[in-house]
Amino acid sequence: MNRIKGIPIAADGMLSEAVLSHGNALPLLHEIEILLNDLATTGTSASLDLRSLPMLPADYEKLREVLGQGEVSATVDALGPTWVRETAIHGVWWVTHRNAEGDVTAEFIEVTCMPEILRTHPADARAAVETLRSRLLQSVPETEGDDHDG
Amino acid sequence: MTDNMTLGERLARQGISRRTFLKFCASMASLMAMPPSMAAEMAEKLAGIRRLSVIWLSFQECTGCTESITRSHSPTLEGLLFDAISLDYHHTLQAASGTAAEHARAQAMQDNAGKYLLIVDGSIPTGEGGVYSTIAGISNHDMLVDSAKGAMAIVSVGTCAAFGGIPKANPNPTGAVAVSDIIKDKPIINVPGCPPIATVMTGVIAHVLTLGTIPDLDELGRPKVFFGDSIHDRCYRRPFYDQGKFAKSFDDEGARNGWCLYELGCKGPTTYNACATTKWNGGVSFPIESGHGCLGCSEPDFWDKGSFYRPLSTGEWGSGEILATGAAAGAAIGIGAALAARKRQDSITGGK
Repeated sequence: MNRIKGIPIAADGMLSEAVLSHGNALPLLHEIEILLNDLATTGTSASLDLRSLPMLPADYEKLREVLGQGEVSATVDALGPTWVRETAIHGVWWVTHRNAEGDVTAEFIEVTCMPEILRTHPADARAAVETLRSRLLQSVPETEGDDHDG
Repeated sequence: MTDNMTLGERLARQGISRRTFLKFCASMASLMAMPPSMAAEMAEKLAGIRRLSVIWLSFQECTGCTESITRSHSPTLEGLLFDAISLDYHHTLQAASGTAAEHARAQAMQDNAGKYLLIVDGSIPTGEGGVYSTIAGISNHDMLVDSAKGAMAIVSVGTCAAFGGIPKANPNPTGAVAVSDIIKDKPIINVPGCPPIATVMTGVIAHVLTLGTIPDLDELGRPKVFFGDSIHDRCYRRPFYDQGKFAKSFDDEGARNGWCLYELGCKGPTTYNACATTKWNGGVSFPIESGHGCLGCSEPDFWDKGSFYRPLSTGEWGSGEILATGAAAGAAIGIGAALAARKRQDSITGGK
């Protein structure tokens, strides 16, 4: 135990230079600007995969600081939560996919009028027709028709 | 009967929506370094596939690769992927043993001839006729040759299967070789690492499933999407290398400041893997982020290239070429520091 205590590691809460670096945030913000211009002028949507870059906490902080928090916030409950938030820059969405344990599995900046994950897929809509009809049948009292006839 | 269902039908029965599917594919596209826009297309293709038969052979290995894939911190995603495959043989995971297990392998090979995926972890001993490792009385060599005949492709999981790994380390007492040293007529995807990252393994399987193709491979047979960049290229400490800021020991001010670990033997500049971006333990960190240099475990013969704690500039990793690459990246300061480090290491080790 004495030898373990002798290991000269200082956990003094000092923030290292590496942690404070945000060298990837600014190029990313400029790319977002270009994509947003495309959306505004041609209606073209695009996504940026934040996990494809060696992002550090300071990079995320810089992105959040510049983009801010907007009016829309939604949670999709599918394989764990997905947080969809529009930033204060309209058309720029921050989408974070998490698994059931809360680990981030993917994270995107989506430049679009509506993130794809919020749309209902046509296959689900078709299945939903049957689901709703089934529920309606179950919720209609068996004697309802007799009452009207009478 | 359920084996004839598409994955989309199978998951719909479980109440899983297409939105969930899209999320899974978005995560997989991110994992495979594919454009995010591919997620929707992947989701459509994945929904339409039928289960793929997989035969997993374990030879001279430590079970670390299987541990890695089954201890993944994102079981929901991996679980969803494993709904898309039928793992017909894996002697560590399957309940059957002995004759019943071998019958399952033979049956899967017969039923899915030309269409199953063969996954191998562990190297293959060839010394003394292959007697150093046998399963059900069959040498690893013969089982590999037999199982490979009807496979659509082979995935060599882990550095042992891909390059021979630790069993092949000098003096290689069992005559261990890699899968690619024996099988020459099938596509082989090498997924090295000791162990490989779980999500890289599942990512390769997802690629084969969704795109129906073998991913682009580098000269060592590794998928470029995961092994296209060196650890050094994608390391968050790279700016310190370029600035000539190096930790000189594991407890000095440089180490505490998160400076580059090159002088402490980090093999990041010569190692190609996804650790710096995909990371480990559910994306928590990777060895360099935890303060230790890269060991280079996804490279051939990493175990025989000298100390993990001597810098690359000492020459054991073919570093002349690497140093030239470093210089091209504007790292003259780094080279100077490397030479200084070599002198310091020599003084510590007596030049050994």
